[in-house]
Amino acid sequence: MINKTAFASALCAATLLATPAFAETVLRIDEVAVGELDPAKASDYADSILMFNVYDTLVLPQQGGPGHVPHLAASWEVDGATYTVKLRDDVKFQSGNAMTAADVVYSIERMQALGAGLSYLFAGVSAEAVDDTTVRFTLEKPYAPFIASLVRLPIVDMAHVKASSDTEWGEEFLSANGAGSGAYSVKSHNPQEETVMSKSDSYFLSVPDAAPDTVRMRYGLEAATVRTLIAQGEHDIASQWLPPEVVQALAKDGSQLLTENGTGAFYFKMNTTKAPLDDVNCRLALSHAFDYGTAVKMIAINDSVSAGSPATGAIPVGMFGANGSDMVMAQDMEKAKEYLAACKHDAADMNIEVSWIAEVPLEERFALLMQSNFTQLGIKSEIKKLPWALFAEQVSSPENTPHISQLFVNAVTGDPDTLLYGMYHSSTPGTWQSPEYLNDAKVDEYLEAGRTASNDAGREAAYKSLNTRLLEIAPTIYGFDRQSVFAASNRVSVPALSDPDKAFGLDGLGFSFRLMEMTE
Amino acid sequence: MPAVIHLLLRRLGISFVVLIGVSMLIFAIARVIPGDPARIALGPNATTEQIAKLRTAMHLDESLPVQYGHFIADVSRGDLGISLYTNRPVTKDIAQFLPATLELVLLAGLIMIAVGLPLGMLAARYRERWPDHLIRVLALLTVSAPGFVWAVILMLLFAFYLPLFPIAGRITDSFEITRVTGFLTVDTLLAGNLEAFVDVIHHLILPAIALSLSGIGQAARLTRANMVETYKKPYIEMAQAYGFFPSKIARSYAFKPSLIPSLTIIGLDFAAMLGNAFLVEAVFAWPGLSRYGVAVILRKDLNAIMGTVLIIAITFLIVNIIVDMMIAFLNPRIRHSARGSA
Repeated sequence: MINKTAFASALCAATLLATPAFAETVLRIDEVAVGELDPAKASDYADSILMFNVYDTLVLPQQGGPGHVPHLAASWEVDGATYTVKLRDDVKFQSGNAMTAADVVYSIERMQALGAGLSYLFAGVSAEAVDDTTVRFTLEKPYAPFIASLVRLPIVDMAHVKASSDTEWGEEFLSANGAGSGAYSVKSHNPQEETVMSKSDSYFLSVPDAAPDTVRMRYGLEAATVRTLIAQGEHDIASQWLPPEVVQALAKDGSQLLTENGTGAFYFKMNTTKAPLDDVNCRLALSHAFDYGTAVKMIAINDSVSAGSPATGAIPVGMFGANGSDMVMAQDMEKAKEYLAACKHDAADMNIEVSWIAEVPLEERFALLMQSNFTQLGIKSEIKKLPWALFAEQVSSPENTPHISQLFVNAVTGDPDTLLYGMYHSSTPGTWQSPEYLNDAKVDEYLEAGRTASNDAGREAAYKSLNTRLLEIAPTIYGFDRQSVFAASNRVSVPALSDPDKAFGLDGLGFSFRLMEMTE
Repeated sequence: MPAVIHLLLRRLGISFVVLIGVSMLIFAIARVIPGDPARIALGPNATTEQIAKLRTAMHLDESLPVQYGHFIADVSRGDLGISLYTNRPVTKDIAQFLPATLELVLLAGLIMIAVGLPLGMLAARYRERWPDHLIRVLALLTVSAPGFVWAVILMLLFAFYLPLFPIAGRITDSFEITRVTGFLTVDTLLAGNLEAFVDVIHHLILPAIALSLSGIGQAARLTRANMVETYKKPYIEMAQAYGFFPSKIARSYAFKPSLIPSLTIIGLDFAAMLGNAFLVEAVFAWPGLSRYGVAVILRKDLNAIMGTVLIIAITFLIVNIIVDMMIAFLNPRIRHSARGSA
């Protein structure tokens, strides 16, 4: 017995000695689009992943709930349209430079000067460094979601950029290199191939040892390639753009499914200037005729995970003003017929043009579903395939905008203002977000109230009223609340994309590598 | 002036005119594709002001001839502009992606010649017998299915079910090779890293085979058809009557004259691979120029479209000139006719 125990102990010791104490862990993910490294130009999902890992922002969304918490900021005070932010004094950039208020001022001025990405969020904002650790932002007019906007202001190492570049804003330098304080630094960036990042030793917060040492973010992989790579253990997290069939196949093979929600929804937008949709009764008839239940079933990955959840109104569940998750939209043909009878246009004369974006084949299936639903009301419809580029051009005039356009829309800061203002305010018609061409005084009033209310309760009330109004006048058929689904190997644990209490409610932030753990 | 030099100069002159024509055609076509390039480049969140600013920077509000003038002026300075897809100079993109595609296409071309020509020769030598039938069926199969189908099949068979080859990329991540030429086969040798060289070859095999299969079928069918015709010539009958071995007749008397028409098509196939490689590159995540070309067309990245098409057109023209020279070398009648016209 003793001999066996001794032998086993010796074997274990030998195994431990033979195993490297700190084997490097590599996380491999992919995105369809090439990630934009310049933080001032970041706007889409791939850009956001890079931005949130290479750079830091003053605040972060509260995990698992509403509101924001300090990050590079230590605290902030609001006085009308003036925000005074006190910075942490222990933050160092990856270059070793200490972060100061001058870097914050440089970062916002750089965004405004380049005028790219989400720079419009900071139009009319001036910043001054009060001292090394205090920044004062002055807004042209009160804007309640300003703190939420700060999640889109990555802080750049001004001294490092100026030392590495001949130009004031270092555009060329920052399109290929990082200059942030983030938990990961850029090792290499090859568009079309991959961006390689490695864990930074000098991060101001503690990063668990289990967080990946190296991250390889690959671009433009084909679905078949991703499927094979994950099956062979050579890939870890697939992008959300995999076809549902491939995600289903990977889930069947044992891959885990990660999810991110609460940031946007899928909408069927009705052109309110074009007959017969210029009549609210006709719009209400169509929105009651739509089969919401089948639409949600069409995006299900399996019995427990879906790419969306039933909509409860214009605002996704979890945001200010959203209805409870039990108040789901449902088909009601009787009501649809009642509204149609009250419509000033004759159903027999109607021919509704339902468009779908050519790059999103799923939308064709929704168009067919709508066509079938409308036929039940005796309304003819025509399905029209539009490439994105053509659609974006056509919506600039109400005459060319189709009756119904299908779109995914996200709140870029997680705040309902960045979701709804661009869609429904009468001052912003004719963009890809606003093919409704809505012009409703009450909607404008509630949207403005959402921007100017001095506290969360006031904002909640404004968006509640807005949601109710938008259901009354139905400029949109609220398809479903969007949920992004990512197939992933089981060697990585991502609490921010699997545990609702750790979720950020902001696109891309769930991919904070410092919060992930490699389990093998 | 020697006839071959005259032929070369004439071909170069014609190629230059073709190149100017191609640049004008692509310049116009790229601008006719629906969609505003500035709007596509800046993404859905861009404001009207941002789009207007980029349009001005790209001269998109000016007339087509003025825009073409800007393009020619930039090209004459070696500047192809900035790619809106990668946010880098197009010349830098091409310098990075072209070697990857050329490396793949060169190996695929070699496989096409090394396998296609002997198969065609074998089929002609055993015409209307079982080797001929088998080769013809295989050739038909490879010609009729596009390269990306073969790419997926090969990946499934030899990377998924039988994991013999890598699935994606040009080299295993753990190798860090300094890029000197961009051709990893060369760079690994320059670095003296034989293990990495073998790894690069390992990565090349499946995509190169997938890309070459259609060309192999084409080359085999053409060579067979030409050789079967040659076999009907009286001098072959005479060689047979003299009792030469069939293999000697096939190699020395039937194959060489049959090669001339095949060579033209093989040359074109070889050049066409540059454009056709994109699906194979997409399946094997090969960071090459063809995949880049498709990505920039889908994003209406005007500068990158022009750069990519011009490079592919130049390669096409170079391959054509090389093929013409080889044919002139193989066929004395062409050399003589060139001298005559000189």
